[in-house]
Amino acid sequence: MKSHPVLAPFVACLAAFLASAPEVFSGPPSFSLAWSEYPSWSVFGVAHGLQLIDGREGKLGKIESKWNVDIVLKEAEYDPCLTMYGAAQCDAVCITNMDALNPALSRPSAVILPTSTSLGGDALITVDSIKNVQQLRGKKVLGLSKSVSEYCFVRNLELLGENEKDHNFSNMDPGAAAMAMQQKQPDVAAIVVWNPFVLETLNRRKDVHVLFDSSSIPNEIVDTVTVAQASLDKPGGKEFACAVIETYYAVNHSLADPATADDTLVALGEKFSHLDLASMKKVVQQTKFYSTPDAARALIAGKDLRGVMHKVVDFCVKHEIVAKAPEVGYGTKAEAPGAALRFDPSYIEAATAAK
Amino acid sequence: MIRHPIPRPAALALAVASILVLIISYTVLSERQHRLNPGDTTLPTWSQLREGVGVAVHKNQRTGERWLVEDAKASLGRLFLGLLWGVAGALILGLLMGCFSPAEAFLQPPFSLLAQIPPTAVLAVFFVLAGTGDNMYVAMIAFGVMPTLAMTVHMAVKEFPEELQFKAYTLGASHAEVILAIIFHQILPRLLDAFRLAIGPAMVYLIAAEMVVGDVGFGYRIRLQSKLLNMSVVYPYLACLAAFGFAMDGALRQAQRRFCPWYQGSRG
Repeated sequence: MKSHPVLAPFVACLAAFLASAPEVFSGPPSFSLAWSEYPSWSVFGVAHGLQLIDGREGKLGKIESKWNVDIVLKEAEYDPCLTMYGAAQCDAVCITNMDALNPALSRPSAVILPTSTSLGGDALITVDSIKNVQQLRGKKVLGLSKSVSEYCFVRNLELLGENEKDHNFSNMDPGAAAMAMQQKQPDVAAIVVWNPFVLETLNRRKDVHVLFDSSSIPNEIVDTVTVAQASLDKPGGKEFACAVIETYYAVNHSLADPATADDTLVALGEKFSHLDLASMKKVVQQTKFYSTPDAARALIAGKDLRGVMHKVVDFCVKHEIVAKAPEVGYGTKAEAPGAALRFDPSYIEAATAAK
Repeated sequence: MIRHPIPRPAALALAVASILVLIISYTVLSERQHRLNPGDTTLPTWSQLREGVGVAVHKNQRTGERWLVEDAKASLGRLFLGLLWGVAGALILGLLMGCFSPAEAFLQPPFSLLAQIPPTAVLAVFFVLAGTGDNMYVAMIAFGVMPTLAMTVHMAVKEFPEELQFKAYTLGASHAEVILAIIFHQILPRLLDAFRLAIGPAMVYLIAAEMVVGDVGFGYRIRLQSKLLNMSVVYPYLACLAAFGFAMDGALRQAQRRFCPWYQGSRG
């Protein structure tokens, strides 16, 4: 049959694809990391900008070449990232310790890197007429249900000796809740939101204040990079974990270096919000980075984490975030073979030992 | 041959076959996903779906509420109230525009502009106008469907044959009688058609708003359960939405046939 002229470009494309295919397939193994805009996770977007890694498929940055692994970055909103990870559309995801429990039930996972902890980054903001937690009883508190916001709220009530039943937490998207409060809507007296909404709301409305925040529960709300166990077990899986870890600390290095600190911070905050440099400095205080391997080890290998995760799992079961409590383990796969979610410091060791 | 009719049993068989294809494709997809990961919850098996339906309809242990009942009450209440206001407003304004030229000159420009703006894009405006309570959903749906519906009524009145109007006046009808007894009946079937088509967009507005600010309702539940990867609850909810849309569509067609029997015939 004679080739139709209209088909010619398609045939050419197909030929080009077939010609390039072997090169793609013989390259280093490829792993994907889903991330959303958040200070300690935007690190990966910044690393792509600095060409430490190249987030495109088939392209290698400096660190990727070193570990001979191709990191594919997939940026999305936080919720779609969770869905993507749960549906096995990506190998790794930037996720909080609390949200990692649910996907881990169907997809055994390892926390390979804690990136930051909320230290004031989640806050209950009330109008000035509500001066203490007793006055808050019965008032509608708006925030995202079954999220770290609700966790932060309930944990603080506990610490203040309040009964959760006396309080009325009602679902609303944090962006919408912050907007409603900034518009001074009469029925919005208390919101639980995270940054940038905390700082934006405080900047724009002077007659509101923080009643309590996550600084009372340090190291409880932990932002992490979590990888599926099945992906870690694949050839190149360990190198992928190490490359991600090295990337994270490399960007942290430029954040700590006075010569590059401000530029890096501005780059981190670029898509996060329109907060200025001064506010971004506050953001990274309230979202405290585990900026060195030692800080990460202190958390993962420390004694407190077990107690914290016990509380988190308990909260998630009580609030129907997980159908059943997943087994949380600590250490390598050999040390905690049955765990659905495992905090594993060995990849940090491997990544830093190689330097 | 093009546009050649087929016998009714054949049509029926094809209809059944298409649904079967959907069911079988889903089963195969779900099967494949579970072979990849036996713990998967994103493409639930039929037995997982049955459990999901159970979760949605049984009393929740912690709150003592049945999700589906609570959500349906909230969402349908908002939807119908919003549609009611939207249709009532559109009818009055559309009639005004169609019957009186000054009203037409005054109202047509804003309506033709507003009809182009998707209400979901101006959620913040509705927050300011109506807060974040139930009124917001009602206002959003009402204002969302009103411009299009009002334009439809307006057009229908314009197309209303002049000779009927003169005949009525000759027989001694007042302005009010012409509008209520003659014009209203003429535009009713067109309004029902437009209403039927407006339900889809109204549901889009409602679900989108509920996903952002709802603390009960279909949009709220679907967003929350999707995030928790409880697709076994989400899919039955989608099925409920489909069934609801289907039922409303049928009911409105039935209403049109019943209240405006002449309209079907006139369309040929």
